[in-house]
Amino acid sequence: MISVVQLTKCYGAQTAVAGLSFEIPAGQIVGFLGPNGAGKSTTLKMLTGMIEPTSGSATISGFDLQRDLLEVKRHVGFVPESGAVFESLTGLEYLEMVAALYGIPPNAARARIKQFIAFFDLSFETLTDKLLGAYSKGMRRKVVITSALLHNPPVVFFDEPLDGLDANAAVGFKALIQMLAREGKTIVYSSHILDVVERVCHRVIIIDKGKLLLDGKPDELVAAHNSGTLERLFTNLTGGAELERRAEDFAKTFRP
Amino acid sequence: MNEIALPPILPEAVPSSEKVLRQLFLTLFLRGRSGRSLKIQTAPKSVGTKLTLSLFFYALLGCMALGFGHQPVFALAAYLHALTFAFLGMFVASSAGEVLFNKEEADILLHRPIRPKTMLWAKIRVLVEVSLWLALAFNLVGFFVGFHSAGWRFPIVHLFSTTLEALFCTGSVVLMYQLCLRWFGRERLDGLMTMAQVFVAIAAVLSGQILPRVLFRVGHVFSLSETSWWIGLLPPAWFAGLDDALAGDALFASWILAAIALIVTSLILWLAFGKLAQDYEIGLQSLNETVSTRVTKTGGRHRWLDKLVNVPPLRWWLRDPVSRASFLLVAAYLVRDRDVKLRIYPGLAPMLVVPFVFLLQGYGQHNSSIGGGFGIPFSGAYLGLVPLLGLQLLQYSQQWQAADVFRAAPMVGPAALCHGARRAVLCLLALPMMLLVGLIVWFLQGDAGQLLLLIPGLIALPIFALVPALRGRGVPLSVPTDAAKSAGRGLSMIPVLFFAFALAGAASFSWTHGGFWRFVLGEAVVAVILYVVLRAMINQARWPEAD
Repeated sequence: MISVVQLTKCYGAQTAVAGLSFEIPAGQIVGFLGPNGAGKSTTLKMLTGMIEPTSGSATISGFDLQRDLLEVKRHVGFVPESGAVFESLTGLEYLEMVAALYGIPPNAARARIKQFIAFFDLSFETLTDKLLGAYSKGMRRKVVITSALLHNPPVVFFDEPLDGLDANAAVGFKALIQMLAREGKTIVYSSHILDVVERVCHRVIIIDKGKLLLDGKPDELVAAHNSGTLERLFTNLTGGAELERRAEDFAKTFRP
Repeated sequence: MNEIALPPILPEAVPSSEKVLRQLFLTLFLRGRSGRSLKIQTAPKSVGTKLTLSLFFYALLGCMALGFGHQPVFALAAYLHALTFAFLGMFVASSAGEVLFNKEEADILLHRPIRPKTMLWAKIRVLVEVSLWLALAFNLVGFFVGFHSAGWRFPIVHLFSTTLEALFCTGSVVLMYQLCLRWFGRERLDGLMTMAQVFVAIAAVLSGQILPRVLFRVGHVFSLSETSWWIGLLPPAWFAGLDDALAGDALFASWILAAIALIVTSLILWLAFGKLAQDYEIGLQSLNETVSTRVTKTGGRHRWLDKLVNVPPLRWWLRDPVSRASFLLVAAYLVRDRDVKLRIYPGLAPMLVVPFVFLLQGYGQHNSSIGGGFGIPFSGAYLGLVPLLGLQLLQYSQQWQAADVFRAAPMVGPAALCHGARRAVLCLLALPMMLLVGLIVWFLQGDAGQLLLLIPGLIALPIFALVPALRGRGVPLSVPTDAAKSAGRGLSMIPVLFFAFALAGAASFSWTHGGFWRFVLGEAVVAVILYVVLRAMINQARWPEAD
């Protein structure tokens, strides 16, 4: 469903993503991990057609990223980390606008939006009366997730989707993506909350400095590296363990 | 699942992407892009009121066309097109950045199945549409004046030429962006686009302000047949030529100007929306890229600012750490932030034009009460608007929510922040402009003694700079940019303008009739008292209630 071959992105002399290659079949949830600045968001933005790769290729649902860009965009949903929305639209106006961009007829869009409102326990008055700028972070995130799934895409990219969601909504969301994967959707899930990734994802891809470090099933990787948890494996690979040691010394500087 | 009743919708039809986007961008433009705490019931009303006020203000300005009732068509058209050009140029240049290249928008729209060209067209149509509203409001009286003096053809032709002018202004700004992209690459896009936009805005203001004054001044020439070849260098004259060719004297020169208007506008539209439209996508993508290769340059600028505040007298003046931090913040935004630069510099450009015109009127007339005698003190006093306008405009920022950090800090009020911002504006904007005016005066008058006439304005400068910070207002970068569209801001300058006239009149009178230094001393005493009182008021002010 997703095939990435030697995908590279350079900014001048700086390489953000360096020859990344992987394949993700339909129905799989893949945790896409890496420390800050590893190139995760750049990779997701390339795969959703938001920025152009410097070299390499990718196909999504059989469509080539460079030749069939609009088709790729029709077949993906994306929840960006920023959770950006047009703040001066109401939630309903925003979702209807997004639906129209995917060519969903207004009545069908309304019916679909109703389903999302019910699922996310969104208040109807809020959706129609309040501008998105006045929404809480969690409510805004729900709207962004809705806007990514409204057109029923076969491939969905989530970048820190749980950011701002309360515990109940997060549980509901995790159940939702697991069910979506069972329905055959391909899900790429980028997050720093590693215990969630460990529980939800079928497979993890860890990158650092734009390069692939590890790719495999979470339990198998943890066992192979004898690290106990995915979090420990991740910190060992990306230098987090050293930071943990330094934290102890640094905390001493706060003593009065 | 609960059954939810949503508002009814029209019969089934999927609107085109372009229509959806056009509606979206128009809504965003009218409501503004930040809607925190707003409700749908109140937002459109406040926007409607602001827009109506702006249109009313423009229509009011357009009443000056009544003075052209008995002039040739070219003079009326040149006046209308020159000011329309200035207003539209300013509007498009200051709005285009936010409309065309909005950073947040990339995350929302770039992964949707939309062609960049469709998005570009939708934005352009909105810009042109709103430009035309403003242009029509301003030209409203002109239509009637033209109808009365030149017949029924004038309103129709003028409507066409004004639409063409709106397309020319919008196309020029878009083209400027695209050429920056093509010539200088995406790494330097942001800075260059800002510079280009600022220059377009300043050029529009200068061109729009200078043409009518030139038409009035050079031997009181109002007819195209009597003007020189260089009139063809001023874009508003092209569109005025179109009016004159189709509804006026139809001289050969006006046909040439009309041809230039049509050819240049077509060329710009073809280049901006046809030939180079693909570059728009690259521009959008580059704004969406988080990695920058300009680390060294920014670092260099930062060091320059650090050095500046460590050199006396600034080091002594900025002893308070909060004021110093605020000074650095404002200075950094004046140098680096695209949004702030696009508001500040085009906004301040007319500040230079008006004194310049007054000085030109007195050119060669030493001690003339019209030019040198009044023009110089007026120029000095008029520059009091620079800190006033500068500080007002500096309140607005796309990152206004970041200003919450000021309220969270242990400060009883915003006084120290306002003092830092005020000092930054005085040092980086007002004093350089005063120096520039001083040089112009020296160059035009050829007498350094005349520079003394700038002293009354210099004395008033710190007082003007205190006004925006009264009542706990004037906190830098703390207000959403949408509020900057308010027409009320322009109206608040009028009392200051009257004050500048009064001060210049008094200074000019005392200069010619004796007692200039007594006047300066008296003004200085009043200024010191006012300064102490206003400063105390600012220092006592608490944080205004948060919206």
